[in-house]
Amino acid sequence: MRQTTRLAAFSLAGSRAGMTLVFLLRVSGAASAGPTPNAEDLLKRVFENYRATTSVTSLAMTVHRAEWERRFSMTAWTRGGKDALVRFIAPAMDAGNATLQLGGETWVFNPKLNAVIKLPPGMMSQSWMGSDFSYDDLSKSEDLLTEYRHRVVASDTAAGHVMWTVEATPNPGAPVVWGKVVLKIRDDYVITEETFLDQDMRPVRRMQSEKIGLLDGRAYPTVMVMYPLDKPTQFTRVETLAARFNTPVAGYVFSLSNLQNPRP
Amino acid sequence: MNGVAALAWRNLWRRPQRTTLSLVSIAAVSALLVFMLSFQMGVYQTMTENTLRIFDGFAQIQPIGYAEDPGLERTIDSPARTAVAALDAGNGTITVASPRVNAFAILANDGRSVGAAVIGVEPASEVRVSTIPRIVRNGRYLTPGDSDSAVVGELLARNLGLSVGKRVTLLGNANDGSIAADILTVRGIYRSGMAELDRNILEMPYRRAQQTFVMGDRANTIVLSGPSLTDLDSGLPALASTLRPRHLTVLDWASLEPALQQNIALKYAMAMVFYLTLVVVVAFIILNTLLMSVLERTAEFGTLLAIGMRPSLVGRMIWIELLLLALLGAIVGISLGAGATLWFEHAGIYFRGLAKLLAQFGLPSRLYPKLGWISVSIGPAAIIVAICLGGIVPFLRVSRLTAANAMRGT
Repeated sequence: MRQTTRLAAFSLAGSRAGMTLVFLLRVSGAASAGPTPNAEDLLKRVFENYRATTSVTSLAMTVHRAEWERRFSMTAWTRGGKDALVRFIAPAMDAGNATLQLGGETWVFNPKLNAVIKLPPGMMSQSWMGSDFSYDDLSKSEDLLTEYRHRVVASDTAAGHVMWTVEATPNPGAPVVWGKVVLKIRDDYVITEETFLDQDMRPVRRMQSEKIGLLDGRAYPTVMVMYPLDKPTQFTRVETLAARFNTPVAGYVFSLSNLQNPRP
Repeated sequence: MNGVAALAWRNLWRRPQRTTLSLVSIAAVSALLVFMLSFQMGVYQTMTENTLRIFDGFAQIQPIGYAEDPGLERTIDSPARTAVAALDAGNGTITVASPRVNAFAILANDGRSVGAAVIGVEPASEVRVSTIPRIVRNGRYLTPGDSDSAVVGELLARNLGLSVGKRVTLLGNANDGSIAADILTVRGIYRSGMAELDRNILEMPYRRAQQTFVMGDRANTIVLSGPSLTDLDSGLPALASTLRPRHLTVLDWASLEPALQQNIALKYAMAMVFYLTLVVVVAFIILNTLLMSVLERTAEFGTLLAIGMRPSLVGRMIWIELLLLALLGAIVGISLGAGATLWFEHAGIYFRGLAKLLAQFGLPSRLYPKLGWISVSIGPAAIIVAICLGGIVPFLRVSRLTAANAMRGT
């Protein structure tokens, strides 16, 4: 844990949501709220900041369903835009489960099986650990930048901040599942809302930053909630309890051996 | 009127050769329609039943909304009691009700992994709703005492490098939001020939699946079967209404296999075009013959008119001749067609060399027609209706005759 944090869990948990998370987590500090920026540049800057960094975060995830609610605690490490490790530490029955993402591939460790399982490509759209995030969310964080065209479609002011609305439309033939992604970005580069629309332009799910606070010296969405819009009784909330950004993370953290046998 | 009918009957047999020929054509087409429709119905029924027997069952009890959005969390409470209630409601048409847990998991072995459906089945009842237990090629199917056992499709086994006796790892999401993990031993490998089934399904014992996926005493579906698909189908609406208060529904075979149902509907539609052509052709042949006969008998009609018969009555006489001809032909045709159908219903028709093609549609190489009220009546009825409608032409022609013109032969 002598590393820095940034986006950890989210790169795992969220994805396109992660992307959002990425934005949220990685973009440092405030940007000046000048004239309407170029959407491309806006996102690029966010990602440049993002890629250069590492993060270690401590997270609480609440998965809410009509019949039950479960709360997990986890620690997440990230490096660059693609590598991430998330390890569950509570509740006891789920503790030890971990997900590693490395170079575009995903592995899952389960302590009961005492086995590392590589996630088959066809499973990437499945729910991650029973939450409203998918494995895809974890791994495709950069897609929003590379596979989409972007446009600032609106800007307004709320609570002393300028808020830009950016529409991201997939490039022709891009291997993405969404028809459009609409983001609301605050002038300090915090994404406050991200809506995912399907190919028929129907909103499918929405991620909202429900609390924005200061974390390790930067504006940060400390509570983010993913709502699947077709299932009004369920949501997944991820709360970032502590974070360190831009501190070095040892290379072994992102390895299969560390996934299975965590070093202290 | 009776007199007119008698007259018409007598007229028919004034030219026995022509009448016989007309009868033969009507009878032949009627017989052909009866047989072909019966054959089609028999084949489609076999195809439907065989397809459903592999995995789906004849019908399924499901939580309302499960079909649109299947999820482990959509469950049937106290499935055993529900199954018994279904058997009662079926009144003999439903003889098996087998509960299933339908989960999804990552299966892994030896560094390889795939996503697949994990079905928890009750072996004792499953063997009566599904043919998978009978198509196990290596090893054996699940037995009621099994716990950590699994049966997988051939392609799934190949993709994971599994063989009988090897262990397969399951990792998925349980019904309470926890992580479901289990290790099972492969007892059998089946091959259905349908890639979808052979690649995507692992079957495991029902109780074990309930534990692994934290289901409590709940199931996702209850699969129903019985001696006759048609009989079972007819009882489903009543069953559905008893299930509705519990937020359950029952899906019939067409909802379970919509593609199969649409495929059959399409084939019927295409066959109908062919049948309709036959009906139209035979109707025109008969009409043509009758028109010839009307022209030939103009002088005779003149005489009838001259002795005081009303033109409309003469027209009616012609029409009755036509009707008698059609009825007689249809009766002969139905007898021949039904006779042949009944014969082949027992003997079957063997298609030499087509076994592989037929197997693709879930059919055996010996096919059996199935006689039913619809297949017996619809073709001949269409012929009778077509001929009667066509009879308007000679009727109108005769109705316009006057005694003088007719006797002069113009």
